[in-house]
Amino acid sequence: MFHALYTAASGMTAQQINLDNIANNLANASTSGFQSRRVQFSDLLYQSEVMPGSAATQQTTYSSGLQVGLGTRPGNTEIIQTQGDLSSTGNPLDFAIEGMGFFQILLPSNQIGYTRAGSFQTNAQGNLVTANGNTLQPAITIPANATNVTVGSDGTVSVTLPGQTNASQVGVIQLATFANPGGLNSVGNNIYLPTTASGDAVVGTPGGADGLGTIQQGMLEQANVNIVDEFVNMILAQRSYESNSRVVKAADEMLQGLNQVAQ
Amino acid sequence: MDSGYYAAATALASRTQALDTIANNLANASTVGYLAQHNVFSSVLAAAGSPSGSPVNQAINNYGILSGTTLDMSQGAMQKTGNDLDLAIQGPGFFVVQTANGPVYTRNGSFQVSGKGQLITSAGDPVMGDSGAITMLPGPVSIGPDGTISSNGALAGKLKVVQFPAGTDLTSAGESYYAAPPHTAKDSTDSSVQQGMLESSNVNPVAGMVELVTAQRSAEMMQHALSMFNAEIDKTASQDLPKVS
Repeated sequence: MFHALYTAASGMTAQQINLDNIANNLANASTSGFQSRRVQFSDLLYQSEVMPGSAATQQTTYSSGLQVGLGTRPGNTEIIQTQGDLSSTGNPLDFAIEGMGFFQILLPSNQIGYTRAGSFQTNAQGNLVTANGNTLQPAITIPANATNVTVGSDGTVSVTLPGQTNASQVGVIQLATFANPGGLNSVGNNIYLPTTASGDAVVGTPGGADGLGTIQQGMLEQANVNIVDEFVNMILAQRSYESNSRVVKAADEMLQGLNQVAQ
Repeated sequence: MDSGYYAAATALASRTQALDTIANNLANASTVGYLAQHNVFSSVLAAAGSPSGSPVNQAINNYGILSGTTLDMSQGAMQKTGNDLDLAIQGPGFFVVQTANGPVYTRNGSFQVSGKGQLITSAGDPVMGDSGAITMLPGPVSIGPDGTISSNGALAGKLKVVQFPAGTDLTSAGESYYAAPPHTAKDSTDSSVQQGMLESSNVNPVAGMVELVTAQRSAEMMQHALSMFNAEIDKTASQDLPKVS
């Protein structure tokens, strides 16, 4: 049978997954700390009917081979690591990371999760927690009577207590990086978990030369989704799907014609 | 026997093979670093080697077959991604990747860093530098046009970029990898590496659709030819021949 039918079907399946990914990127365009993903495709195996350079006769070789490819497959979805825009919120417990680092948070499963969404609040004990109630690690406690909270670009958290003129330090926010952040596992709620592909977290203090970045207080990082790019990709995905379906139609019509010859 | 019948059948078979290549190009229109394949048709003489007799004899025994596929080596469109480890090659070069089956070459520069800190392709194979696999240093990565990789001013290595003499037979190996005959890869002098960009496949969808329509219509013509031979032979065999006796 024609390979073309299956080859085109592989192209259509790949574009469906591409569109699913674009839809997720667009749906999260307003999720702060969201990092968009991109689907990578790779070509499938080739059927070599004539290998290039194989002998045509004793004296000559074929100048080009005859290799028929069998289609495409979605290879992986890679996390795009570009910096999202920082928007000023004025909330002293909103932190944005300018750099490659991730906040560490303690998940209910006692695992450490990693996120770039820096919208924190305090819980009943005064600990800094995410909107889902997961505690920032290492834990930082803001006294209930603090009148002012200041976070330096190096992660130093200091508070001013009533009746005191000098701010006192209550902790340092630490950030984590990965050898391969593109290989992190997204588990929803803006949380990533490390995998063998991403490597183990390397924890450090912000502001250094190791690429962790700096912390900006009163700011949130917007999703790094580029709406224009996503729309362009959406058009390309749709047109590519169409051209593949056109191949299915052509293969079908050729088979139909062949059947008529035999009548 | 009617040699034209076999000529038409051969041509029809070659058009269906051509459709397979066209389908593969269109299916890989979104594969980064994919090089489009072109079909090469050629004619074979049914009685190759023997003297070709009259020109008429030569014409009716000349069959069209799909003899090969060649790779389109033209530059694909550059697509900005912003990822520091996305690299595109401007010019004829290829990155060198070490696989279990020896070195392969790719223009897909969507690289990552492995858990062990090595620069790898999205399929997980190490990317080669001038002195073997490249171990990345911590910190932001900057890659120069000559392939020099540095982090915070410290040198991590230099990407090996090679090119092939015109006419080298590259073999597609899947995963946007290409294999080449031994000793053909030479250090590329006229390629530059662009950081934060990827090269889209160089498939031209317009040309692809035109080839698709051509292959389809050409197949239809061959089908008509076959039908006519069929009808003629049928007629001769079932209606005319019995009348002789």
